[in-house]
Amino acid sequence: MRHGFAIGAAVIAAGLVLQWAVGAVRWQDFAWPVNIAVLAVFVIAALIGTALSRRYSPLRFLATLPAAVPAICYGVALTMIMGLTRQTADGTWLSDMLTFWPFVLTYSYIAFILALTTLRRLRRLRHPRLSDIAFVLNHAGLLIALLAGTLGNPDMRRLKIITNLNAPERRAMDEEQRIVQMSIAIKLDRFIMETYPDGSPRRFASEVSIIDRDGKNVQATVEVNRPVRIGSWKLYQYGYDTKAGAESRISILELVQDPWLPAVYAGIFMMLGGALLMFFLSNKPKDQRHAVE
Amino acid sequence: MLWNNFIYFAIVAVVMWAGGAYMAWRDKRNSAFTATAIGLAVFFAYICFMWGALERPPLRTMGETRLWYSLFLPMAGLAVYARWKYKWILTFTTIMATVFVCVNIFKPEIHSKALMPALQSPWFAPHVIVYMMAYAILGAATLVAIYQLLRKTTVGDGEATLVRTGWAFMTFGMLFGALWAKEAWGHYWSWDPKETWAAITWLAYLAYMHYTHMPRHNRTLAQWMLIAAFCLLQMCWWGINYLPAAKGISVHSYGS
Repeated sequence: MRHGFAIGAAVIAAGLVLQWAVGAVRWQDFAWPVNIAVLAVFVIAALIGTALSRRYSPLRFLATLPAAVPAICYGVALTMIMGLTRQTADGTWLSDMLTFWPFVLTYSYIAFILALTTLRRLRRLRHPRLSDIAFVLNHAGLLIALLAGTLGNPDMRRLKIITNLNAPERRAMDEEQRIVQMSIAIKLDRFIMETYPDGSPRRFASEVSIIDRDGKNVQATVEVNRPVRIGSWKLYQYGYDTKAGAESRISILELVQDPWLPAVYAGIFMMLGGALLMFFLSNKPKDQRHAVE
Repeated sequence: MLWNNFIYFAIVAVVMWAGGAYMAWRDKRNSAFTATAIGLAVFFAYICFMWGALERPPLRTMGETRLWYSLFLPMAGLAVYARWKYKWILTFTTIMATVFVCVNIFKPEIHSKALMPALQSPWFAPHVIVYMMAYAILGAATLVAIYQLLRKTTVGDGEATLVRTGWAFMTFGMLFGALWAKEAWGHYWSWDPKETWAAITWLAYLAYMHYTHMPRHNRTLAQWMLIAAFCLLQMCWWGINYLPAAKGISVHSYGS
Protein backbone atom coordinates (compact mmCIF):
# COMPACT_ATOMS: atom_id res chain seq x y z
CA MET A 1 0.00 0.00 0.00
CA ARG A 2 3.01 2.25 0.43
CA HIS A 3 3.15 2.78 -3.33
CA GLY A 4 -0.53 3.63 -3.40
CA PHE A 5 -0.09 6.32 -0.77
CA ALA A 6 2.96 7.67 -2.63
CA ILE A 7 1.08 7.94 -5.93
CA GLY A 8 -1.87 9.63 -4.20
CA ALA A 9 0.50 12.12 -2.54
CA ALA A 10 2.13 12.81 -5.92
CA VAL A 11 -1.31 13.50 -7.42
CA ILE A 12 -2.02 16.01 -4.65
CA ALA A 13 1.42 17.61 -5.07
CA ALA A 14 0.81 17.95 -8.81
CA GLY A 15 -2.51 19.58 -8.00
CA LEU A 16 -0.85 22.07 -5.67
CA VAL A 17 1.67 23.01 -8.36
CA LEU A 18 -1.12 23.44 -10.90
CA GLN A 19 -3.17 25.52 -8.50
CA TRP A 20 -0.18 27.75 -7.85
CA ALA A 21 0.78 27.99 -11.54
CA VAL A 22 -2.53 28.39 -13.37
CA GLY A 23 -5.00 29.16 -10.58
CA ALA A 24 -8.27 27.42 -9.77
CA VAL A 25 -10.03 25.01 -12.13
CA ARG A 26 -12.22 27.02 -14.52
CA TRP A 27 -15.12 24.64 -15.01
CA GLN A 28 -16.86 26.93 -17.50
CA ASP A 29 -13.97 26.21 -19.91
CA PHE A 30 -15.10 22.56 -19.90
CA ALA A 31 -18.44 23.34 -21.55
CA TRP A 32 -19.43 21.46 -24.71
CA PRO A 33 -17.52 20.31 -26.76
CA VAL A 34 -14.45 20.40 -24.50
CA ASN A 35 -16.10 18.03 -21.98
CA ILE A 36 -16.84 15.37 -24.58
CA ALA A 37 -13.23 15.64 -25.83
CA VAL A 38 -11.92 15.24 -22.27
CA LEU A 39 -14.19 12.22 -21.83
CA ALA A 40 -12.92 10.68 -25.09
CA VAL A 41 -9.31 11.16 -23.99
CA PHE A 42 -10.13 9.60 -20.60
CA VAL A 43 -11.79 6.56 -22.17
CA ILE A 44 -8.96 6.07 -24.69
CA ALA A 45 -6.37 6.40 -21.92
CA ALA A 46 -8.23 3.81 -19.83
CA LEU A 47 -8.45 1.42 -22.79
CA ILE A 48 -4.75 1.82 -23.62
CA GLY A 49 -3.91 1.50 -19.93
CA THR A 50 -5.81 -1.78 -19.75
CA ALA A 51 -4.25 -3.09 -22.95
CA LEU A 52 -0.74 -2.29 -21.72
CA SER A 53 -1.28 -3.44 -18.14
CA ARG A 54 -0.04 -6.94 -18.93
CA ARG A 55 3.31 -5.55 -19.97
CA TYR A 56 3.71 -2.69 -17.48
CA SER A 57 3.32 -3.54 -13.83
CA PRO A 58 2.66 0.06 -12.62
CA LEU A 59 -0.48 0.12 -14.79
CA ARG A 60 -1.47 -3.28 -13.44
CA PHE A 61 -0.99 -1.93 -9.94
CA LEU A 62 -3.57 0.83 -10.50
CA ALA A 63 -6.34 -1.75 -10.85
CA THR A 64 -5.59 -3.33 -7.47
CA LEU A 65 -6.70 -2.81 -3.87
CA PRO A 66 -3.34 -1.37 -2.67
CA ALA A 67 -3.91 1.47 -5.16
CA ALA A 68 -7.64 1.86 -4.49
CA VAL A 69 -7.54 2.01 -0.68
CA PRO A 70 -5.08 4.95 -0.42
CA ALA A 71 -6.89 6.78 -3.23
CA ILE A 72 -10.21 6.51 -1.34
CA CYS A 73 -8.47 7.62 1.88
CA TYR A 74 -7.15 10.76 0.14
CA GLY A 75 -10.65 11.34 -1.21
CA VAL A 76 -12.07 11.11 2.33
CA ALA A 77 -9.40 13.48 3.71
CA LEU A 78 -9.92 16.16 1.05
CA THR A 79 -13.70 15.93 1.24
CA MET A 80 -13.43 16.25 5.04
CA ILE A 81 -11.52 19.51 4.59
CA MET A 82 -14.35 20.60 2.33
CA GLY A 83 -16.90 19.63 5.00
CA LEU A 84 -15.05 21.47 7.76
CA THR A 85 -14.44 24.76 5.93
CA ARG A 86 -17.08 27.14 4.71
CA GLN A 87 -17.34 26.87 0.95
CA THR A 88 -18.03 29.92 -1.19
CA ALA A 89 -18.28 30.23 -4.96
CA ASP A 90 -15.79 33.12 -4.98
CA GLY A 91 -13.46 31.40 -2.54
CA THR A 92 -9.92 30.29 -3.26
CA TRP A 93 -7.95 27.13 -2.50
CA LEU A 94 -9.58 25.32 0.43
CA SER A 95 -12.66 27.54 0.56
CA ASP A 96 -13.73 26.44 -2.91
CA MET A 97 -12.75 22.79 -3.06
CA LEU A 98 -14.67 22.11 -6.26
CA THR A 99 -12.19 24.29 -8.18
CA PHE A 100 -9.15 23.21 -6.10
CA TRP A 101 -6.79 21.22 -8.33
CA PRO A 102 -5.65 18.66 -5.70
CA PHE A 103 -9.33 17.84 -5.01
CA VAL A 104 -10.22 17.60 -8.71
CA LEU A 105 -7.12 15.56 -9.57
CA THR A 106 -7.63 13.16 -6.65
CA TYR A 107 -11.17 12.41 -7.83
CA SER A 108 -9.91 12.11 -11.41
CA TYR A 109 -7.33 9.61 -10.17
CA ILE A 110 -10.09 7.68 -8.36
CA ALA A 111 -12.10 7.72 -11.61
CA PHE A 112 -9.11 6.37 -13.53
CA ILE A 113 -8.64 3.55 -11.01
CA LEU A 114 -12.36 2.79 -11.32
CA ALA A 115 -12.09 2.66 -15.12
CA LEU A 116 -9.05 0.35 -15.11
CA THR A 117 -10.65 -1.90 -12.47
CA THR A 118 -13.93 -2.16 -14.37
CA LEU A 119 -12.21 -2.84 -17.69
CA ARG A 120 -9.97 -5.48 -16.16
CA ARG A 121 -12.96 -7.25 -14.63
CA LEU A 122 -14.89 -7.02 -17.91
CA ARG A 123 -11.94 -8.49 -19.83
CA ARG A 124 -11.69 -11.42 -17.46
CA LEU A 125 -15.41 -12.14 -17.68
CA ARG A 126 -16.13 -15.46 -19.36
CA HIS A 127 -18.97 -16.91 -17.32
CA PRO A 128 -20.25 -13.97 -15.28
CA ARG A 129 -21.49 -14.80 -11.82
CA LEU A 130 -23.91 -12.64 -9.88
CA SER A 131 -21.00 -11.21 -7.91
CA ASP A 132 -19.27 -10.14 -11.16
CA ILE A 133 -22.42 -8.32 -12.24
CA ALA A 134 -22.61 -6.60 -8.85
CA PHE A 135 -18.95 -5.63 -9.14
CA VAL A 136 -19.37 -4.09 -12.58
CA LEU A 137 -22.63 -2.31 -11.67
CA ASN A 138 -21.05 -0.80 -8.53
CA HIS A 139 -17.81 0.30 -10.14
CA ALA A 140 -19.01 1.31 -13.60
CA GLY A 141 -22.13 2.95 -12.14
CA LEU A 142 -20.08 5.16 -9.83
CA LEU A 143 -17.65 5.94 -12.66
CA ILE A 144 -20.42 6.94 -15.08
CA ALA A 145 -22.27 9.04 -12.49
CA LEU A 146 -19.02 10.73 -11.43
CA LEU A 147 -17.84 11.51 -14.97
CA ALA A 148 -21.20 12.57 -16.39
CA GLY A 149 -22.06 14.62 -13.31
CA THR A 150 -18.75 16.46 -13.25
CA LEU A 151 -18.10 16.93 -16.96
CA GLY A 152 -21.76 17.65 -17.65
CA ASN A 153 -22.05 20.33 -15.00
CA PRO A 154 -20.73 23.19 -17.21
CA ASP A 155 -23.48 22.37 -19.74
CA MET A 156 -26.19 22.65 -17.13
CA ARG A 157 -28.31 25.80 -17.39
CA ARG A 158 -30.45 27.27 -14.64
CA LEU A 159 -32.60 30.30 -15.31
CA LYS A 160 -34.85 32.16 -12.90
CA ILE A 161 -38.02 33.85 -14.14
CA ILE A 162 -40.18 36.22 -12.17
CA THR A 163 -43.66 35.61 -13.60
CA ASN A 164 -46.38 38.21 -13.14
CA LEU A 165 -50.12 37.77 -12.87
CA ASN A 166 -51.63 37.93 -16.36
CA ALA A 167 -48.51 39.43 -18.00
CA PRO A 168 -46.38 37.10 -20.17
CA GLU A 169 -42.69 37.20 -19.24
CA ARG A 170 -39.99 36.46 -21.81
CA ARG A 171 -36.90 37.47 -19.85
CA ALA A 172 -35.05 35.22 -17.46
CA MET A 173 -31.91 35.62 -15.39
CA ASP A 174 -29.00 33.19 -15.55
CA GLU A 175 -26.72 32.20 -12.68
CA GLU A 176 -24.42 35.18 -13.36
CA GLN A 177 -27.41 37.53 -13.01
CA ARG A 178 -27.45 38.26 -16.74
CA ILE A 179 -30.75 38.79 -18.57
CA VAL A 180 -31.57 36.07 -21.09
CA GLN A 181 -34.30 36.31 -23.74
CA MET A 182 -36.26 33.06 -23.92
CA SER A 183 -38.00 31.64 -26.99
CA ILE A 184 -41.07 31.02 -24.84
CA ALA A 185 -43.07 33.31 -22.61
CA ILE A 186 -44.56 32.34 -19.26
CA LYS A 187 -47.63 33.97 -17.75
CA LEU A 188 -48.84 33.45 -14.18
CA ASP A 189 -52.58 32.71 -14.21
CA ARG A 190 -53.03 32.03 -10.52
CA PHE A 191 -50.80 31.67 -7.48
CA ILE A 192 -52.00 29.08 -4.98
CA MET A 193 -50.95 29.19 -1.36
CA GLU A 194 -52.16 27.07 1.52
CA THR A 195 -50.87 27.49 5.06
CA TYR A 196 -50.85 25.53 8.30
CA PRO A 197 -52.69 27.01 11.31
CA ASP A 198 -49.37 28.49 12.48
CA GLY A 199 -48.98 30.35 9.19
CA SER A 200 -46.13 28.29 7.75
CA PRO A 201 -46.61 27.28 4.11
CA ARG A 202 -48.29 23.92 3.51
CA ARG A 203 -48.36 24.13 -0.25
CA PHE A 204 -47.57 26.70 -2.88
CA ALA A 205 -48.06 26.30 -6.59
CA SER A 206 -48.36 28.33 -9.76
CA GLU A 207 -50.89 27.86 -12.52
CA VAL A 208 -49.08 29.14 -15.59
CA SER A 209 -49.56 29.49 -19.33
CA ILE A 210 -46.54 28.69 -21.43
CA ILE A 211 -46.67 30.46 -24.79
CA ASP A 212 -44.27 29.19 -27.43
CA ARG A 213 -42.85 30.99 -30.45
CA ASP A 214 -45.84 30.16 -32.67
CA GLY A 215 -48.21 31.54 -30.04
CA LYS A 216 -49.35 28.08 -28.97
CA ASN A 217 -50.54 28.09 -25.40
CA VAL A 218 -49.99 25.27 -22.87
CA GLN A 219 -51.35 25.43 -19.35
CA ALA A 220 -49.64 23.72 -16.43
CA THR A 221 -49.43 23.75 -12.65
CA VAL A 222 -45.93 24.03 -11.23
CA GLU A 223 -45.49 22.94 -7.65
CA VAL A 224 -42.69 22.15 -5.23
CA ASN A 225 -41.62 18.54 -5.86
CA ARG A 226 -43.70 18.53 -9.07
CA PRO A 227 -41.72 20.19 -11.87
CA VAL A 228 -43.19 20.53 -15.35
CA ARG A 229 -41.36 19.42 -18.48
CA ILE A 230 -41.11 21.87 -21.42
CA GLY A 231 -39.09 20.34 -24.25
CA SER A 232 -35.59 19.75 -22.93
CA TRP A 233 -36.21 22.01 -19.94
CA LYS A 234 -37.86 21.43 -16.59
CA LEU A 235 -39.79 24.18 -14.88
CA TYR A 236 -39.62 24.33 -11.07
CA GLN A 237 -41.51 26.32 -8.45
CA TYR A 238 -38.79 28.39 -6.80
CA GLY A 239 -40.29 31.19 -4.73
CA TYR A 240 -42.89 33.94 -4.38
CA ASP A 241 -43.36 37.29 -2.70
CA THR A 242 -43.04 36.07 0.89
CA LYS A 243 -44.18 39.42 2.28
CA ALA A 244 -47.48 39.18 0.41
CA GLY A 245 -47.87 35.43 1.09
CA ALA A 246 -51.10 34.10 -0.40
CA GLU A 247 -51.70 37.51 -1.99
CA SER A 248 -48.45 37.29 -3.95
CA ARG A 249 -48.84 38.68 -7.46
CA ILE A 250 -45.59 37.15 -8.64
CA SER A 251 -44.16 33.67 -8.66
CA ILE A 252 -40.48 32.90 -9.13
CA LEU A 253 -39.91 29.86 -11.31
CA GLU A 254 -36.70 28.14 -12.29
CA LEU A 255 -35.93 26.58 -15.68
CA VAL A 256 -33.32 23.84 -15.57
CA GLN A 257 -31.66 22.09 -18.50
CA ASP A 258 -29.13 19.31 -17.95
CA PRO A 259 -28.25 17.45 -21.15
CA TRP A 260 -26.01 14.97 -19.32
CA LEU A 261 -28.73 13.92 -16.86
CA PRO A 262 -29.65 10.64 -18.64
CA ALA A 263 -26.03 9.48 -18.32
CA VAL A 264 -25.93 10.44 -14.63
CA TYR A 265 -29.20 8.58 -14.05
CA ALA A 266 -27.85 5.53 -15.88
CA GLY A 267 -24.94 5.56 -13.42
CA ILE A 268 -27.23 6.05 -10.44
CA PHE A 269 -29.52 3.18 -11.45
CA MET A 270 -26.52 0.91 -12.04
CA MET A 271 -25.34 1.72 -8.52
CA LEU A 272 -28.82 1.02 -7.13
CA GLY A 273 -28.80 -2.35 -8.92
CA GLY A 274 -25.30 -3.06 -7.59
CA ALA A 275 -26.32 -2.18 -4.03
CA LEU A 276 -29.38 -4.42 -4.30
CA LEU A 277 -27.24 -7.36 -5.46
CA MET A 278 -24.70 -6.61 -2.71
CA PHE A 279 -27.43 -6.71 -0.13
CA PHE A 280 -28.38 -10.25 -1.18
CA LEU A 281 -24.83 -11.43 -1.77
CA SER A 282 -23.58 -10.14 1.59
CA ASN A 283 -25.64 -12.83 3.30
CA LYS A 284 -24.02 -15.59 1.26
CA PRO A 285 -21.00 -17.60 2.44
CA LYS A 286 -17.67 -15.99 1.73
CA ASP A 287 -16.55 -18.09 -1.26
CA GLN A 288 -19.52 -16.86 -3.31
CA ARG A 289 -18.88 -13.25 -2.56
CA HIS A 290 -16.55 -11.09 -4.64
CA ALA A 291 -18.90 -8.19 -5.19
CA VAL A 292 -16.75 -5.59 -3.50
CA GLU A 293 -13.31 -6.90 -4.36
CA MET B 1 -50.26 14.97 24.06
CA LEU B 2 -48.66 12.62 21.62
CA TRP B 3 -45.23 12.32 23.17
CA ASN B 4 -46.88 11.93 26.60
CA ASN B 5 -47.93 8.42 25.68
CA PHE B 6 -44.47 7.58 24.40
CA ILE B 7 -43.13 6.65 27.84
CA TYR B 8 -45.62 3.77 28.31
CA PHE B 9 -44.82 2.16 24.98
CA ALA B 10 -41.11 2.81 25.53
CA ILE B 11 -41.02 1.18 28.97
CA VAL B 12 -42.76 -1.96 27.72
CA ALA B 13 -40.47 -2.13 24.68
CA VAL B 14 -37.26 -1.60 26.68
CA VAL B 15 -38.31 -4.21 29.28
CA MET B 16 -38.99 -6.74 26.51
CA TRP B 17 -35.66 -5.96 24.78
CA ALA B 18 -33.81 -6.29 28.09
CA GLY B 19 -35.62 -9.59 28.73
CA GLY B 20 -34.57 -10.80 25.29
CA ALA B 21 -30.96 -9.79 25.95
CA TYR B 22 -31.01 -11.71 29.25
CA MET B 23 -32.47 -14.80 27.57
CA ALA B 24 -29.66 -14.63 25.00
CA TRP B 25 -27.07 -14.86 27.80
CA ARG B 26 -28.99 -17.84 29.21
CA ASP B 27 -28.87 -19.46 25.72
CA LYS B 28 -32.64 -19.53 25.46
CA ARG B 29 -32.72 -18.51 21.82
CA ASN B 30 -36.45 -18.86 21.23
CA SER B 31 -37.34 -16.75 24.27
CA ALA B 32 -34.74 -14.15 23.23
CA PHE B 33 -36.30 -13.92 19.77
CA THR B 34 -39.86 -13.75 21.08
CA ALA B 35 -39.20 -11.11 23.73
CA THR B 36 -37.21 -8.86 21.39
CA ALA B 37 -39.83 -9.23 18.67
CA ILE B 38 -42.65 -8.27 21.05
CA GLY B 39 -40.65 -5.22 22.12
CA LEU B 40 -40.17 -4.25 18.49
CA ALA B 41 -43.89 -4.71 17.77
CA VAL B 42 -44.88 -2.48 20.70
CA PHE B 43 -42.39 0.19 19.68
CA PHE B 44 -43.48 0.05 16.06
CA ALA B 45 -47.11 0.32 17.16
CA TYR B 46 -46.25 3.65 18.79
CA ILE B 47 -44.59 4.89 15.58
CA CYS B 48 -47.70 3.93 13.59
CA PHE B 49 -49.89 5.66 16.17
CA MET B 50 -47.79 8.78 15.86
CA TRP B 51 -47.82 8.58 12.07
CA GLY B 52 -51.63 8.57 12.15
CA ALA B 53 -51.91 11.39 14.67
CA LEU B 54 -49.40 13.63 12.86
CA GLU B 55 -51.02 12.94 9.47
CA ARG B 56 -47.52 12.62 8.02
CA PRO B 57 -44.65 10.15 8.43
CA PRO B 58 -42.77 10.89 11.68
CA LEU B 59 -39.42 11.45 9.99
CA ARG B 60 -38.89 15.15 10.06
CA THR B 61 -37.43 16.16 13.38
CA MET B 62 -34.31 14.88 15.10
CA GLY B 63 -36.52 13.29 17.79
CA GLU B 64 -38.54 11.49 15.15
CA THR B 65 -35.45 10.08 13.41
CA ARG B 66 -34.19 8.87 16.81
CA LEU B 67 -37.46 6.99 17.13
CA TRP B 68 -36.68 4.97 14.02
CA TYR B 69 -33.10 4.46 15.15
CA SER B 70 -34.31 3.01 18.46
CA LEU B 71 -36.51 0.65 16.47
CA PHE B 72 -33.89 -0.47 13.96
CA LEU B 73 -31.08 -1.07 16.50
CA PRO B 74 -32.67 -4.07 18.28
CA MET B 75 -33.87 -5.22 14.86
CA ALA B 76 -30.28 -5.21 13.56
CA GLY B 77 -29.18 -6.85 16.83
CA LEU B 78 -31.73 -9.60 16.33
CA ALA B 79 -30.51 -10.22 12.78
CA VAL B 80 -26.89 -10.42 13.99
CA TYR B 81 -27.91 -12.77 16.81
CA ALA B 82 -29.80 -15.01 14.38
CA ARG B 83 -26.90 -15.15 11.93
CA TRP B 84 -23.76 -15.22 14.12
CA LYS B 85 -25.21 -16.22 17.52
CA TYR B 86 -23.25 -13.49 19.38
CA LYS B 87 -24.79 -13.69 22.86
CA TRP B 88 -23.84 -10.15 23.82
CA ILE B 89 -25.12 -8.26 20.78
CA LEU B 90 -28.71 -7.92 22.06
CA THR B 91 -27.42 -6.44 25.32
CA PHE B 92 -25.51 -3.77 23.45
CA THR B 93 -28.26 -2.91 20.99
CA THR B 94 -30.73 -2.76 23.89
CA ILE B 95 -28.49 -0.36 25.81
CA MET B 96 -27.99 1.85 22.76
CA ALA B 97 -31.68 1.84 21.89
CA THR B 98 -32.49 2.70 25.52
CA VAL B 99 -30.13 5.67 25.42
CA PHE B 100 -31.98 7.01 22.39
CA VAL B 101 -35.35 6.30 24.01
CA CYS B 102 -34.23 8.24 27.12
CA VAL B 103 -33.09 11.17 24.99
CA ASN B 104 -36.53 11.20 23.41
CA ILE B 105 -38.24 11.09 26.81
CA PHE B 106 -36.17 13.87 28.37
CA LYS B 107 -35.54 16.02 25.28
CA PRO B 108 -38.18 15.05 22.74
CA GLU B 109 -37.85 18.19 20.58
CA ILE B 110 -41.58 18.27 19.98
CA HIS B 111 -42.66 19.98 16.82
CA SER B 112 -45.86 21.00 15.15
CA LYS B 113 -47.64 19.08 12.45
CA ALA B 114 -46.17 21.36 9.78
CA LEU B 115 -44.35 19.63 6.97
CA MET B 116 -42.78 22.12 4.59
CA PRO B 117 -43.63 21.66 0.89
CA ALA B 118 -40.16 20.42 -0.11
CA LEU B 119 -40.56 17.45 2.26
CA GLN B 120 -43.94 16.45 0.81
CA SER B 121 -42.55 13.87 -1.56
CA PRO B 122 -42.91 10.13 -2.04
CA TRP B 123 -39.10 10.00 -1.66
CA PHE B 124 -39.18 11.39 1.88
CA ALA B 125 -40.08 8.20 3.79
CA PRO B 126 -37.81 5.76 1.88
CA HIS B 127 -34.88 8.21 1.98
CA VAL B 128 -34.95 8.62 5.77
CA ILE B 129 -36.04 5.10 6.74
CA VAL B 130 -33.35 3.46 4.60
CA TYR B 131 -30.73 5.81 6.08
CA MET B 132 -31.83 5.06 9.65
CA MET B 133 -31.63 1.34 8.84
CA ALA B 134 -28.09 1.86 7.53
CA TYR B 135 -27.11 3.81 10.65
CA ALA B 136 -28.48 1.06 12.91
CA ILE B 137 -26.69 -1.75 11.05
CA LEU B 138 -23.43 0.22 10.98
CA GLY B 139 -23.92 0.96 14.68
CA ALA B 140 -24.20 -2.79 15.31
CA ALA B 141 -21.03 -3.35 13.23
CA THR B 142 -19.21 -0.75 15.34
CA LEU B 143 -20.34 -2.52 18.53
CA VAL B 144 -18.93 -5.80 17.22
CA ALA B 145 -15.64 -4.06 16.42
CA ILE B 146 -15.39 -2.38 19.85
CA TYR B 147 -16.22 -5.63 21.64
CA GLN B 148 -13.47 -7.47 19.79
CA LEU B 149 -10.96 -4.67 20.39
CA LEU B 150 -11.68 -4.70 24.13
CA ARG B 151 -11.60 -8.48 24.41
CA LYS B 152 -8.57 -8.65 22.08
CA THR B 153 -10.24 -11.51 20.23
CA THR B 154 -11.66 -11.94 16.76
CA VAL B 155 -14.79 -13.94 16.08
CA GLY B 156 -15.75 -14.65 12.49
CA ASP B 157 -16.22 -11.79 10.07
CA GLY B 158 -19.58 -10.55 11.35
CA GLU B 159 -18.71 -6.86 11.26
CA ALA B 160 -17.49 -6.96 7.64
CA THR B 161 -20.74 -8.55 6.48
CA LEU B 162 -22.74 -6.05 8.53
CA VAL B 163 -20.84 -3.19 6.90
CA ARG B 164 -21.61 -4.52 3.43
CA THR B 165 -25.32 -4.68 4.28
CA GLY B 166 -25.31 -1.29 5.99
CA TRP B 167 -23.39 0.29 3.15
CA ALA B 168 -25.89 -1.11 0.62
CA PHE B 169 -28.67 0.60 2.61
CA MET B 170 -26.60 3.78 2.78
CA THR B 171 -26.15 3.76 -1.01
CA PHE B 172 -29.91 3.47 -1.38
CA GLY B 173 -30.48 6.35 1.03
CA MET B 174 -27.98 8.58 -0.73
CA LEU B 175 -29.21 7.87 -4.25
CA PHE B 176 -32.90 8.16 -3.27
CA GLY B 177 -31.89 11.54 -1.85
CA ALA B 178 -30.26 12.49 -5.17
CA LEU B 179 -33.33 11.48 -7.21
CA TRP B 180 -35.56 13.41 -4.80
CA ALA B 181 -33.32 16.50 -4.85
CA LYS B 182 -33.60 16.62 -8.64
CA GLU B 183 -37.40 16.81 -8.36
CA ALA B 184 -37.46 19.23 -5.44
CA TRP B 185 -34.52 21.57 -6.05
CA GLY B 186 -33.62 21.07 -9.70
CA HIS B 187 -30.29 19.34 -9.09
CA TYR B 188 -29.35 15.90 -7.81
CA TRP B 189 -26.23 16.95 -5.94
CA SER B 190 -25.43 20.46 -4.66
CA TRP B 191 -22.62 19.84 -2.13
CA ASP B 192 -24.92 20.97 0.66
CA PRO B 193 -22.99 20.30 3.94
CA LYS B 194 -25.20 17.27 4.65
CA GLU B 195 -24.44 15.90 1.20
CA THR B 196 -20.73 16.54 1.63
CA TRP B 197 -20.70 14.62 4.91
CA ALA B 198 -22.86 11.86 3.43
CA ALA B 199 -20.21 11.48 0.71
CA ILE B 200 -17.43 11.43 3.34
CA THR B 201 -19.22 8.72 5.36
CA TRP B 202 -19.97 6.67 2.26
CA LEU B 203 -16.34 6.87 1.13
CA ALA B 204 -15.00 6.04 4.60
CA TYR B 205 -16.97 2.76 4.69
CA LEU B 206 -15.89 2.15 1.10
CA ALA B 207 -12.26 2.46 2.24
CA TYR B 208 -12.96 -0.02 5.06
CA MET B 209 -14.58 -2.53 2.70
CA HIS B 210 -11.72 -2.35 0.22
CA TYR B 211 -9.11 -2.57 2.97
CA THR B 212 -10.69 -5.63 4.61
CA HIS B 213 -10.88 -7.28 1.20
CA MET B 214 -7.09 -7.34 1.06
CA PRO B 215 -5.96 -10.83 2.06
CA ARG B 216 -3.33 -9.73 4.56
CA HIS B 217 -4.97 -6.78 6.24
CA ASN B 218 -4.46 -5.78 9.86
CA ARG B 219 -7.63 -6.71 11.73
CA THR B 220 -7.04 -4.22 14.57
CA LEU B 221 -6.50 -1.34 12.14
CA ALA B 222 -9.69 -2.37 10.30
CA GLN B 223 -11.66 -2.22 13.56
CA TRP B 224 -10.30 1.24 14.30
CA MET B 225 -11.29 2.29 10.77
CA LEU B 226 -14.82 1.15 11.53
CA ILE B 227 -14.93 3.24 14.71
CA ALA B 228 -13.55 6.28 12.85
CA ALA B 229 -16.12 5.83 10.09
CA PHE B 230 -18.91 5.67 12.67
CA CYS B 231 -17.67 8.98 14.15
CA LEU B 232 -17.89 10.53 10.66
CA LEU B 233 -21.42 9.14 10.40
CA GLN B 234 -22.36 10.97 13.62
CA MET B 235 -21.02 14.16 12.08
CA CYS B 236 -23.25 13.59 9.06
CA TRP B 237 -26.32 12.71 11.16
CA TRP B 238 -26.32 15.46 13.79
CA GLY B 239 -22.80 16.89 14.14
CA ILE B 240 -23.19 19.31 11.25
CA ASN B 241 -25.97 21.10 13.15
CA TYR B 242 -23.17 22.38 15.42
CA LEU B 243 -20.55 22.88 12.73
CA PRO B 244 -19.75 26.57 12.08
CA ALA B 245 -18.90 25.85 8.42
CA ALA B 246 -22.39 24.41 7.85
CA LYS B 247 -24.46 26.85 9.92
CA GLY B 248 -27.41 28.32 8.10
CA ILE B 249 -26.68 26.96 4.65
CA SER B 250 -27.95 23.40 4.82
CA VAL B 251 -31.38 22.42 3.54
CA HIS B 252 -31.15 19.45 5.89
CA SER B 253 -31.24 21.27 9.23
CA TYR B 254 -33.76 19.37 11.32
CA GLY B 255 -36.64 20.97 13.09
CA SER B 256 -37.46 24.62 12.76
